[in-house]
Amino acid sequence: MIVRLYRSLLMGLVPIAFSACASPEPAPAEQELAVPLGVDLGGSGPVAAPVARPQGEPGYSERVGQTQMAHAGANDAHGTGTVNSVDLARHKVEVTHAPIPEIGWPSMTMEFPVAPSVDLKEIKPGTRVNFTIEQQPGGMYEIKVITPAGGGR
Amino acid sequence: MTDPVFTRRRFMLGAAVTGTLMLARWPSRSAPAPAPVLSGTEFQLEIGPIPINITGRPVTGTGINGQIPAPILRWREGDTVTLAVTNRLSERSSIHWHGIRAPSPMDGVPGLSFAGIQPGETFVYRFPVRQNGSYWYHSHSGFQEQTGVYGPIVIVPKDGYAQAFDRDYVVMLSDWSNESPGTIVSNLKFQSDYYNFHQRTVGTFFDDAQRNGLADAVADRLQWGKMRMSPTDILDIGGAAYTYLLNGQPPGRNWTALFRSGERVRLRFINGSSMSIFDVRIDGLPMTVVQADGNDVIPVTVDEFRISVAETYDVIVRPTADRAYTIFAQVEDRTGYARGTLAPQAGMTATIPPMDPRPLRTMTDMGMGGMQPGSMSGMDHGAMSGMNHGSMPGVSGMGVSLEAKKLVGSVGVDNVAEVPTERLNRAGEGFPAGRRVLTYADLRATRPGRDARPTSRDITLHLTGNMERFIWGFDGKKFSEAEPIVLQRGERVRFVLINHSMMEHPIHLHGLWSELENGHGAYRPYKHTINVKPGEKLSYLVTADEPGRWAYHCHLLYHMDLGMFREVRVP
Amino acid sequence: MSRQRKILCACGAVLGLAHAAAGQTPATPAQPTVPGEREFGQPVMDQGIFAHAILNQNEGRWNDTETEYRWEGQGWVGTDYDKLWIKSEGTVQSNGTVDDGQDQFLYSRAITTYFDLQGGLRSDIDSRPTRNWAALGIQGLAPYFFDLELTGYASGQGHLAAKLEASYDLLITNRLILQPQIEVDLYSKADPPRLVGAGFSSIDTGLRLRYEFSRKFAPYLGVVYEGKFGQTASYARRIAESTGDFRFAFGVRIWF
Repeated sequence: MIVRLYRSLLMGLVPIAFSACASPEPAPAEQELAVPLGVDLGGSGPVAAPVARPQGEPGYSERVGQTQMAHAGANDAHGTGTVNSVDLARHKVEVTHAPIPEIGWPSMTMEFPVAPSVDLKEIKPGTRVNFTIEQQPGGMYEIKVITPAGGGR
Repeated sequence: MTDPVFTRRRFMLGAAVTGTLMLARWPSRSAPAPAPVLSGTEFQLEIGPIPINITGRPVTGTGINGQIPAPILRWREGDTVTLAVTNRLSERSSIHWHGIRAPSPMDGVPGLSFAGIQPGETFVYRFPVRQNGSYWYHSHSGFQEQTGVYGPIVIVPKDGYAQAFDRDYVVMLSDWSNESPGTIVSNLKFQSDYYNFHQRTVGTFFDDAQRNGLADAVADRLQWGKMRMSPTDILDIGGAAYTYLLNGQPPGRNWTALFRSGERVRLRFINGSSMSIFDVRIDGLPMTVVQADGNDVIPVTVDEFRISVAETYDVIVRPTADRAYTIFAQVEDRTGYARGTLAPQAGMTATIPPMDPRPLRTMTDMGMGGMQPGSMSGMDHGAMSGMNHGSMPGVSGMGVSLEAKKLVGSVGVDNVAEVPTERLNRAGEGFPAGRRVLTYADLRATRPGRDARPTSRDITLHLTGNMERFIWGFDGKKFSEAEPIVLQRGERVRFVLINHSMMEHPIHLHGLWSELENGHGAYRPYKHTINVKPGEKLSYLVTADEPGRWAYHCHLLYHMDLGMFREVRVP
Repeated sequence: MSRQRKILCACGAVLGLAHAAAGQTPATPAQPTVPGEREFGQPVMDQGIFAHAILNQNEGRWNDTETEYRWEGQGWVGTDYDKLWIKSEGTVQSNGTVDDGQDQFLYSRAITTYFDLQGGLRSDIDSRPTRNWAALGIQGLAPYFFDLELTGYASGQGHLAAKLEASYDLLITNRLILQPQIEVDLYSKADPPRLVGAGFSSIDTGLRLRYEFSRKFAPYLGVVYEGKFGQTASYARRIAESTGDFRFAFGVRIWF
């Protein structure tokens, strides 16, 4: 019985031997010709019980208190972060900021246009800042106020 | 009886054992980086120029995060996702989440939802995800979708999957041209058959005469000639300009999905192309369709399906043999194909089948009924295709409606279908007999629809075009010549589409579900993109439950851009 | 009627007319607004302006007596409905003189599915005295795929003229195309300095076989016939010019 198993394993090693000999680690030139593989997103897991609710989902407006977007009136939000770079010519700053719960933003690094009335002379790369942003027509957020956070002078 | 050492069974057993070991020990023997997956609830996406080399000539395309297709976005139903999209192109850009029900300001259509994303700007999308399934995302600006700004979305259901599977792969089909889209459009404006190198010639005339008789062949030529149409108009742009990609790879690169025999593999087919309709099959593997446009359907097993631009079909296959299978996606006019492999090991290939015979348009496609002299030669194998050749296509209406009659002879219209047919139970032309091909009539939802109210009105739209001038529109008018379609908030309406042109048009309504009336009553399928065949009439129900200015257009990119676009406005 | 009544009636009438007028002017229906709506520009730009030009004839013509160069081309810029259109043709003889030169500058308006209405100016510019005409005609695709141009002209001196051009593309294969083509000119009155007689004046017709290496570049070989009739023919005979010539042609059809 063990002998039989042993023979099976031995025969099974034949393909390994073949492939080991026949295809060594691909040379750099061959690497480019290597086959692109799909990403397996995984199995389904346990199958769900049939769902009772009807097809589709209700429109947003039907849900109470769902509005995540344009709050009526207050378009302002406040944040803190660190300035990475200042573009005086285009009047923009790139900021790495902490999450902004008022509008549900996570921590991000991004470039903001700055309102023309704001003086950017005090804002240097590396400065920690507090800022106020306001949503403009078209959806983009613009910095209305930006000041060095305490201890920045 | 002696027991030979080298029995086949032992070999297979051994091979299976060591095969498994191999897969475990060398999981990525031959893989340059596959398209990465981005998961979670926060995403940073950057749209920018990308060097790309599909045909051997390096050119510059556009893409997201340095790759074409863009990364797979993996969301969970119930999460709220935040996507910061930065535009590093030198022109305005945008991202639209195709099939996703998001509030109108998050829908991503410059001019309707928002102002677009200016060069250098970052726009933050944020919306709750309240659906699951396979979708995709793409630019809605200019021709960026054609030059590479498209990618898959996979939303994991919160209640779990309805069918079990062991592996899960996205199969995104697309088309690539080294020619700039602006040049393509300009070429088509001067010569609309610029890319059609399979027109009827003196040679095909003699073939037809030999097959059907001289009188018949002559009558057929005269019939089409009088209309100034060509039955060889299948796709505006074919393999003469395009290389077809499967997950961004041309056929020769052999994109491969691995499986172990006996496993159930879920394949999420997404047609992310600009102008190409694919016929997909895997020889040796029947496919069980479980979702269409992200929504569950009663599983239906087919050998082949036609997937039009922007549609998605999720199928489950179960390869039992330990061999490779070719995923074969030939375009409708048979001028090219996209190809991938399902295999137990990387590097294996299976035979690539020859392309099927090229279909021809028929008089049914022209909306002229089927009983015309000379149509016997035009009665191509499409009429005998699939398993649905029982019923005659339903002839609808009493001929041309008054409003359609007004379109005859106008600059934007080259044909008015006198007898549009209702034929959702027909798959279309070009399928050889003997294969089970999916039809819209096969799609039955697993759960009844949400809105059981009767409709308040019918909105009829005529899909029209002028092939010679390459103008496309609704009701003979381009977007700039037409008014928005206004729905009341909460209204339940029926859209009736009549396709007077001789090409398929995948019609996509943003923001609201299109419930296709295909004979299954309350179990009609929920779709976001509906492919209307030439000369076809179909209808679908819409509940206007989400306010906004919703784009409504043919998803053939150049048709949309040349006028086949409307705003559906829900105040 | 009393004076006040007259005034009242007049006012009423004016108001009534104004009201009726206002009622009749189709007021653009105010679109109901959507929450958060602003104007963001256009989602698709479908009124694009395109420009193209083509040389249909761009060929050397020769027989055992003469060699000449012939061009015939068109170009336009505009939208789907409105275009500015230029047409030009002429023949250059081996001695350098230009014959049969015609240049047209037209405004072209799409009027039906397949036809444009064109109007403008034609100038006959070549080695003979220049003539100017007003032009009006149609151009498009006729049933059975014949390309057709039919134009009428009127000159300041009261001369009338007409031109008919037609051609057909016969696909021998998808790249090898045989094109019969014909151009006919008619004039109401004779114009001796231009050697043009009244009536059916001349014909320029050819059979060209082109091979489309690309759509935009197709060399061709052909046989052409230049014929003169009636009074035009007699003018030609007087100066010992032939009235009907067959020539071989070789050229390249190009467009952008």
